[in-house]
Amino acid sequence: MNLSTDIWVWVGVVLTLCVYSFLYKDNPFYRFGEHLFVGVANAFTLSFMYHRIIVPIMWRPFAGAVRIAGEEGITPELFNPMAEANFLVIIPGLIGCMYFTRFIPGITWMVRIPIGMFMGYYTGRVVPAYFEGSIFPQMKGTIVTQASFDPAMGGGLMAGIFAVIILIGVIGTLTYFYFSKEHKGLIKVGANTGIVFVMVGFGASFGFTVMARVSLAIGRFVFLLRDWLGVIS
Amino acid sequence: MNWERLRNVDRRIIFLAMGLGILIPLLFPVELPVGAQRITTRLFETVDAIDGQKQCLMISSDYTPQTEAENHPMTIALLRHGFTRRIPVLLNALYVEGAPLLADAIDQVMGEFNARATSREDSVIYGRDVVYLGWQPPPIVPILAMGESIAGIYVEDYYGNRTDSLEVMQHIHTYDEVGIVVAITGLAAPLWYVQLAQTKYGVAVGAACTAVCAPDFYPYCATGQISGMMAGMKGAAEYEEMVDEQFALGGRRKATEGMVAQSAAHLVIMAFVILGNISYFASRRKKT
Amino acid sequence: MREKIPLALLIILGLIGLTDRFMPHPGPEALNQYLRDTLLRIISAFALILGLGNLIVRHFNRIKRKEEHWPHSYVLLGSFVLASIIGLFGGVSGELWFPTSIGGFQFDITTIYNKILIPLGASMFSLLAFYMASAAYRSFRARNWLAALLLISAFIVMLGQVPLGAYISPVIPEISQWIMEVPNTAAKRGIELGIILGMLATLLKILTGIERSWLGSGR
Repeated sequence: MNLSTDIWVWVGVVLTLCVYSFLYKDNPFYRFGEHLFVGVANAFTLSFMYHRIIVPIMWRPFAGAVRIAGEEGITPELFNPMAEANFLVIIPGLIGCMYFTRFIPGITWMVRIPIGMFMGYYTGRVVPAYFEGSIFPQMKGTIVTQASFDPAMGGGLMAGIFAVIILIGVIGTLTYFYFSKEHKGLIKVGANTGIVFVMVGFGASFGFTVMARVSLAIGRFVFLLRDWLGVIS
Repeated sequence: MNWERLRNVDRRIIFLAMGLGILIPLLFPVELPVGAQRITTRLFETVDAIDGQKQCLMISSDYTPQTEAENHPMTIALLRHGFTRRIPVLLNALYVEGAPLLADAIDQVMGEFNARATSREDSVIYGRDVVYLGWQPPPIVPILAMGESIAGIYVEDYYGNRTDSLEVMQHIHTYDEVGIVVAITGLAAPLWYVQLAQTKYGVAVGAACTAVCAPDFYPYCATGQISGMMAGMKGAAEYEEMVDEQFALGGRRKATEGMVAQSAAHLVIMAFVILGNISYFASRRKKT
Repeated sequence: MREKIPLALLIILGLIGLTDRFMPHPGPEALNQYLRDTLLRIISAFALILGLGNLIVRHFNRIKRKEEHWPHSYVLLGSFVLASIIGLFGGVSGELWFPTSIGGFQFDITTIYNKILIPLGASMFSLLAFYMASAAYRSFRARNWLAALLLISAFIVMLGQVPLGAYISPVIPEISQWIMEVPNTAAKRGIELGIILGMLATLLKILTGIERSWLGSGR
């Protein structure tokens, strides 16, 4: 045993044990850890946002423009939004400040402006991306062709059979989640086939989720045993 | 036997069993071969095939401290691979919560390599072999903008250096000089790269994800949109082992260390599920 | 005006974002680049204010009304203020004027992240391992053949994904990989296609101004 003498390791251990105390029952130690996490995480995000984004992207170009205007006078270049130093960066800053209006009675509605601008651009960008990146290639990947069975084109007998199974599974799953028509006749057959694939898929997801959560617990145990107690090398 | 009592066993007993299932294998480890899955091998081979003279490996992370145990060994394994093959490595963080973790990984692996280095050529030098671009929000912006200019969107790196002044950035400008972007994630970063960057700029994308996300990425692996994947701590262990087998680097392999405990914990959960089913069916039979 | 201006901006910016792929012209490309790299980046940075403001107001009110567990709100607000002072005035690695070390003891915001946030965040998520075991014991029942199929699939994957599976039999990881690559791929692809088509329908409704719930009801 080689107990750590690092104060920060001890802090980490105390906080880990505070959180783990929840396994016994809900208690003030757990809630302390929970609230501390939220407080510190937000402060960390705020600090990084200020130093890494607001200062270099907004403040420095604006301060640079003020300095140049003071030295050389106001030139058209200072109003070029692509220039390294320009006055126009203040516009997105002012739009960003509209988020504050959420807390000012009477002009609360103005918070919708930055939200709407961000949502609009983001929505416009992702619509074609979803089609090109997911819908088309995934549908194309489901279609069984001669190539699926042709060893010369990367396929084979087994690969072809698996491709057919995937095709049946995709159609079945889509049919199972199709609720606009009653599950009768052919649709029922499709839905019943689909649920088999869905169940196997959910089973696999459960297995992987167990794996993920256990991995995280292992990480904490290794921290306690290695970094704090020094009982494993 | 009182099946009803067994069904309603205190959850803390289950927690204790689970804790012991993890603790005991960590204290008394045994050797178990890790093996390698096809998707992990595919990722390794894709990274290995990068021509370091022309292209770089990009590691893009969106993981946070919450999934550090799963994702951090992946970053370290990829850095070791890149440094050994002398492939320049560019890193970026898509979320602020994970930004310092990448700096920590770079420090660790650079330290390992430089402790062994005998010359400047052998060493891993920041700016020549590795650049940490830092973090720029929101994720959609750097993912799209890097297709036009990496140094344009990351004007300064994580440490405040001008990105375009760094040696490696003289020949890496856009996705054209990126062999593969490996998105290390606890969310859906590989899909963002596929949907936004691959469709427009044709960059290859790899995934290194928590096990929770992995099943959702298999359809994209099947279509080749994702070139390969490390799935969870097991995937990280497989990659660690492949790097170690190929290059005999040594060094700590955190994911591999956890594999015995992982196996034991899975057994504990399976045992509880079986026990739960036995008690369920036994008590049901008793009722009828 | 309160609804029309935000809605008009959403539609205009949406159309600019939408048409970028189809207009390889320097003019629209430059506009797109400015919107994406400058305007939206700065706006998104300010979005943090909304979250932080709500959090602070919520916890001030909790203290004022002495709601359940209200003393913990002091922990949240106190740690937020203290860590913010360290981060804002000390710099991300303690490079600014605010002192972030005493002797050899460092407490800059990056150190606080490494030493406080990582243990707390990782521990909270790892609790799920224990609760998952308990939940599986209580509710994972093979009540019918479909539930049994789910259970068998989970068992094979759980064994196949760890070294123990290969140790028992090399066939187990093979079956596990097959499950992931064939039936799982089929199911996930079907589900994913459904989800994305649904998302696309919603996004198009937002873009065309049909879906307006994002405007809320606040004045």
